[in-house]
Amino acid sequence: MDATIATFLIQDGLTNGAIYALLGLAIVLVFAVTRVIFIPQGEFVAYGALTLAILDTGQVPATPKLLLCFGAVAFLLDLWSWRRSFAMRDLVKNIALNLGLPLAIYGAVLYLAPLQLPSFIRALIAVSIIAPMGLYVYRIAYRPLADASVLVLLITSVGVHLAMLGLGLIFFGPEGLRAAPLHDGSFTLGPLLVTAQSVLIYLMTILIMVGLYFFFEKTLLGKALRATAVNRLGAQLVGVRTQLTGSTAFVLAATIAAISGVLLGPITTIYYDTGFLIGLKGFVAAILGGMGSFPITAIAAIGVGMVESFASFFASNYKEIIVFGLIVPVLIWLSLGANHHEED
Amino acid sequence: MMKKSLKIWAASALSLTLMAGSALADITIGVTIPTTGPGAALGIPLKNSIELWPTEIAGEKLKVIILDDAGDPSAATTNARRFANDDKVDVLMGSALTPAAIGAAGVAAEVGVPHFAISPVPPQVAKGKWSFVLPQYSTVLAKRMFARMQKDGVKRVSFIGFADSYGQQWVDELTKTGKDFGLEVVADERYARADTSVSGQVLKALAAKPDAVFIGASGTGAALPQIGVRERGFTGPVYVVSGAVTFEFLRIAGKAVENTIFSSGPVMVAEDQADDSPTKAEGLAYLKAYEGKFGPNTRTQFGSHVWDAMVILQKAVPVALKTAKPGTQEFRDALRDAIESSGPYNATHGVFQFTPEDHYGLDERGAVLLTAKDGKFMMLKD
Amino acid sequence: MAGNRHILPGALALILLAAFPLLPVPPFWITLANNIGLASLVAIGLVLLTGVGGLTSFGQAAFCGFGAYTTAVLTTAYGFSPWMTLPLSLAVGAAVAIPLGLMTVRLSGHYLPLGTIAWGLAIYYLFGRIELLGRYDGISAIPPLEIGSYRFLSGQSIFYVIWAFVILTALGAQNLLDSRVGRAIRALRGGSQAAEAFGINIERAKLTVFVFAAVVAALSGWLYAHMQRSINPTPFGLDMGITYMLMAVIGGAGYVWGAIFGASVVLILKETLQRVLPGLLDTTANFEMIVFGILLVGILQLSKEGLWPFVLKLLPRSRRSRQLAEPSSQLDKRDMPERGTPLLRIDKVRKQFGGLVAVNDVSFEIKAGEIVGLIGPNGAGKSTTFNLITGIASLSGGGVAYAGQTLSGLSPREIAKHGVARTFQHAKILPDMSVLENVALGAHLRGSAGVFRSILRLERKEEATLLTEAARQIERVGLGQYRDRPAGDLALGQIRILEIARALAADPTLLLLDEPAAGLRHGEKQELSNLLKKLRSEGVSVLLVEHDMGFVMGLVDNLVVLDFGTLIAQGKPQEVRKHPAVIAAYLGGVA
Repeated sequence: MDATIATFLIQDGLTNGAIYALLGLAIVLVFAVTRVIFIPQGEFVAYGALTLAILDTGQVPATPKLLLCFGAVAFLLDLWSWRRSFAMRDLVKNIALNLGLPLAIYGAVLYLAPLQLPSFIRALIAVSIIAPMGLYVYRIAYRPLADASVLVLLITSVGVHLAMLGLGLIFFGPEGLRAAPLHDGSFTLGPLLVTAQSVLIYLMTILIMVGLYFFFEKTLLGKALRATAVNRLGAQLVGVRTQLTGSTAFVLAATIAAISGVLLGPITTIYYDTGFLIGLKGFVAAILGGMGSFPITAIAAIGVGMVESFASFFASNYKEIIVFGLIVPVLIWLSLGANHHEED
Repeated sequence: MMKKSLKIWAASALSLTLMAGSALADITIGVTIPTTGPGAALGIPLKNSIELWPTEIAGEKLKVIILDDAGDPSAATTNARRFANDDKVDVLMGSALTPAAIGAAGVAAEVGVPHFAISPVPPQVAKGKWSFVLPQYSTVLAKRMFARMQKDGVKRVSFIGFADSYGQQWVDELTKTGKDFGLEVVADERYARADTSVSGQVLKALAAKPDAVFIGASGTGAALPQIGVRERGFTGPVYVVSGAVTFEFLRIAGKAVENTIFSSGPVMVAEDQADDSPTKAEGLAYLKAYEGKFGPNTRTQFGSHVWDAMVILQKAVPVALKTAKPGTQEFRDALRDAIESSGPYNATHGVFQFTPEDHYGLDERGAVLLTAKDGKFMMLKD
Repeated sequence: MAGNRHILPGALALILLAAFPLLPVPPFWITLANNIGLASLVAIGLVLLTGVGGLTSFGQAAFCGFGAYTTAVLTTAYGFSPWMTLPLSLAVGAAVAIPLGLMTVRLSGHYLPLGTIAWGLAIYYLFGRIELLGRYDGISAIPPLEIGSYRFLSGQSIFYVIWAFVILTALGAQNLLDSRVGRAIRALRGGSQAAEAFGINIERAKLTVFVFAAVVAALSGWLYAHMQRSINPTPFGLDMGITYMLMAVIGGAGYVWGAIFGASVVLILKETLQRVLPGLLDTTANFEMIVFGILLVGILQLSKEGLWPFVLKLLPRSRRSRQLAEPSSQLDKRDMPERGTPLLRIDKVRKQFGGLVAVNDVSFEIKAGEIVGLIGPNGAGKSTTFNLITGIASLSGGGVAYAGQTLSGLSPREIAKHGVARTFQHAKILPDMSVLENVALGAHLRGSAGVFRSILRLERKEEATLLTEAARQIERVGLGQYRDRPAGDLALGQIRILEIARALAADPTLLLLDEPAAGLRHGEKQELSNLLKKLRSEGVSVLLVEHDMGFVMGLVDNLVVLDFGTLIAQGKPQEVRKHPAVIAAYLGGVA
């Protein structure tokens, strides 16, 4: 192996690592706020990428329709809870959020999809179709279980994952799709060929991380999320509504996942079921970060990307075994280092 | 004591179900295919093609049951058992992934039902009395391809393929059969369909300074290394196996497929075939029916295998009907014999000539070479 | 045998099961029943591991793989007979589980599921890469099981083999849970401190369930190989691992019989959906996965405990209280040290949390047969001192000696072996377990029966002795009427008393009680006081933390007063009471 190959592999590892970092952050975020291990994350990635790929062809993807369905279910559930209060304000809010928003997005997509807009706009449309799904998925699947154990929430996640996987197969078909690059350029940096798409990935990753930092440090909602993460009961006592923080965490996570999908879509073939494995690697990074630390998660994600990249060069047949096998000793090391705290 | 009572139990259970199932006289076909999971890209065109089947053969109504096995051999075996025991099928088909097809073949041999494997199962399975293989065994396709590679002056080959049964089969062909054509495998790189990047594999494959790159992957998954080697500036020939011959692949691989040679069954290019080609008529008929129903350019390699099965059955069933009624073991015995004896069958994927020794049935007429241009496949004349 | 509570439904189910293949059912039902049986085995393992032990594993399918591949290789390549490979398959399952378990059980909380996903995936990929295992195509032509010349080829015949194993495994699991080892496993969910304080080896208990789950999964794999007669990596991947977990959860993760129920629900549902949906929706698209996912979420929203509790409600319920078997022998009692000899020496113990000194070079002594009160304002370091003595917190300096032996540096478990038993400021009981079982946990170290004897019920004599001892302690503290009630039903004060009974069941020489009288009414305090005095007369020494001065003053022989982690006074209650520093500490806060 010479230096050129090494730099290529490093670049490759960085690109994938950046995506894993985004997903890892979203997983940490959701876990910290809601204790949900967000397995369906991968489906949001796939939906984002596949929606973009279909928008590229000028067709209307099926995901806006799915969004309508999700919204309708959430509307019915909210209507059912509403019977206790009969407050007009709640009803208006319910209609606006669960019916109005998806309808508006659906209408916009119907109008915009055939126009062959620039690729960035298409990416934006794809993200705005997928991101609100986080809201409805939380409302439908998780909110009724807000007080359940981590295990129950985990199994719920598996259920949501299965349902969304099946929906993906119906909407996008069994074959993979690849989106057009958001920016088709490339430039050389010494011996290295750098594509604009990979630069875009780095930039977006950094941007999202900085954005999250400011969100958590500077905004009231962000602080509420942090408070919930530190102490759920305490946050509730001082008036932070867990429903609001939960919804916010899920919308954020879905947005991040959709953005990852949009970034990933043009550089690889995405299938309806690819998301799970990609998400799993983000999950690995999140675990290495102790399901709590954003910076360690990001660093671990880059590490996972690197290991994967170099393993695919040196022992491609054993790549998965290496990537997933390596985690175990790392976890042992972590668990030996950590003090055993009583989970009261 | 235990032995005896078990036998009695088994016997009584059997007789009861026989009474329940013997009223039917239709020809029943049970198909187990992966319509979900990693084999869905194979299973769904198959399922679509089954919809093109006639409603009867030789005046006997056709009853078709399709079950999903998601590519899982246990599920395929369970489905096959269910077909054999509960539905009393006359013909068993499936599955489309090799391990699952092996499972179904096991059941066929156990209960004595004619079985069509929709996957190139290995010889020890194809040797079984009851299983017939519809797709070309990789050697048929490989020989055609390797001859071309030899002609192109290729000696050193880098292999990039799926880390699964399919990829393994092709690397085995390259190392074993390829030797006769002067081919040497200088890199063996694997990846998974779900991988987001194959840069490492491509770099390693090209670092070995090959004359050509051989891609052993299927569907759109094969596009990743195809694009990768071109991005890294490889200008030599690229050979791609039949599994990747789909329009989705062309769409995704885009400009990168110029000068790539594909191995394929003849059905993909029925229009390009010479008029006297034995595979042209059925090929055209299939494409007309399939693309008429599912839209232009929806054809795949995989779907027409079940069309071929129908070609075979339409010839063999009338022979078997002379001996016995559908729904009986006698009919199944007769049908099996008839499949072996009623060839040759001119089908979409070649000319099947089954014999008691050969349940693959296809010869070199089952393989063609293709190139692609402007999003279309063209037959390569040599 | 079949559980004491539901003998009638159990027997009925057994007869139905035995007659099932003889009924005029479609043969496919038999195949389905066989698949359910195989899945049930794995799910039973998961119930113990996850539902009871609280350890989540998505990697069980990999253990099936080890069982299946072991027998496949040995029977096809080396000509072993299938029955001969049974112990070997199970041994391989256990041999893989022990190192994996040692690694995995150390992973706490949410690390654990990912750890299992990670090695589950790695092992699955490994199966597909190994030449000996036939790579992706696997191994075929595996011989069927046979007895004499009878070959278990048909679905009906292997049905009996599979379900015999399922029932034996379920009974074994049930037996295991209802034993000394089982109590230790069930204690895992309640956190580690209380269990360790009574000498339960937490990691060993975790490893025990982990290996048990792996071995039954390997058994399932072994059966699978001989039923299917060909294997390959697919059924041993993560998807199946997840499916097994779903079965356990849907059935109800805490119920052994729920595992079988869960496996049935999942598999029958899958089949029904496949058959019914296409006709219902008139489409060739696949909705099974969607319906399945939605149902799963729905069931969990309906009942977090899974579906088995609903089934249990339908079954007749016996209201009889548990009959304790007559113990054949008495438990050994510890020799009490001679009254008045030094028992516990606390020598300049120190605990620092970063810059904060919680306990500052505190020294005092307890003599055998003495009741010593440890008092001080809130945050004085009393509970920390308790934790330092019992090994839950590690010393930053100083030493603890007990009857001449050093305790410092020992684990809570080893300290418990010396005869030191304690209660907790925040009561740590297992609310789902009965009062009797909670107390019997205290007697853990007084029994010795292991996993195998428990599964085979060879430890009944010892178990009866332990339970009788527990029942005796319950009577002694006055909770007799609640003996068979779930401990979670008790009032807070009663739970504190339960903890004392649990500590007494350990036959302690030194009893450490952390605020035992909190939440008790006056009369109950009186009884507690009498009990402690009686214990003292039997030679037991007591160290207690208490805020109720009236209770303390009338009871203790000596008082130790801490303030801000520092010892400010010790001596007879009357003397300490007049000590200026004590008055300042107590009144100073108010003034």
